[in-house]
Amino acid sequence: MRLFFAAFSVAILAALAVPLEAHHSFSAVYDGNKPVTLRGKVSKLGWSNPHAHIYVDVVNQKGETVTWEVESASATNLLRAGIRKEDFIGTEVVVKGFLAKDGTPTVNASSFTLVELKKEYTSDEAAPGAP
Amino acid sequence: MKPMAIVAGVCLALALQAPAGAQARPDFSGTWRFNQAKSSANIAGNTPIVAFPSQLVVKQTATELQVDGTSVRQQPTSAVFKLDGSKVSVKAPAGITESGEARIEGANLVITTRRSFTSPLGETIVDFKEVWTLSGNALTIEKTRTESGDSATEKAVFDKM
Repeated sequence: MRLFFAAFSVAILAALAVPLEAHHSFSAVYDGNKPVTLRGKVSKLGWSNPHAHIYVDVVNQKGETVTWEVESASATNLLRAGIRKEDFIGTEVVVKGFLAKDGTPTVNASSFTLVELKKEYTSDEAAPGAP
Repeated sequence: MKPMAIVAGVCLALALQAPAGAQARPDFSGTWRFNQAKSSANIAGNTPIVAFPSQLVVKQTATELQVDGTSVRQQPTSAVFKLDGSKVSVKAPAGITESGEARIEGANLVITTRRSFTSPLGETIVDFKEVWTLSGNALTIEKTRTESGDSATEKAVFDKM
């Protein structure tokens, strides 16, 4: 019985650990002084909570295609805004956001526009207090 | 007697014009704190399209304007602008180069800056234009961010502390 409770506790902790790891502080990961705008095609989608992850192929100034990871609002919030999982793949997207501090092609999206569908999503994540 | 009256009239008009002109020059000095309730939606929190500081400390003289901005989610920036509109460097966080200029236009202050940094896109250049307007103890800043031909404008209101 003791072994069962130990296994149960480990399972609960493991289940909680995933969302905790995924929901991080903005300032720890992103640079609020480095706004960027991306244009490209969506190649992959991570449709999840607390953040959906949109993977966008963007051509850089050297002419190379780089896949960017765009952290967006939760899948639940996107659905509430009328944006579905099916809207993304292969579509052209314009993303405004902030660059990751580690220099990788990663941004936190303030807004994105699905060009062909003419659908725009603006994050309404307004933390109390200050910008 | 008539020319004398005309000369006196012109002198009186000039004398009255000088103080009127001096009064029109706004003074933005003070400590200003962001007022979320009076500002555009979506500019507070983690993901503003156009980012504003939480607090501004402004010191204005006849020739210069020192602006120190602090924020919860951005590193502080500081600049001493010449009010004749000449270009100056903005003290920005490591890895960012920024320069800009400021000038008084009537009742407004207009600040334009250009920020550049390296990203996986290459050399990234972001232009900002801020139009400052005073109204009593409130400072309104309309700020436009332009990058890669794409621009967005938001408005923030700051209360004098």
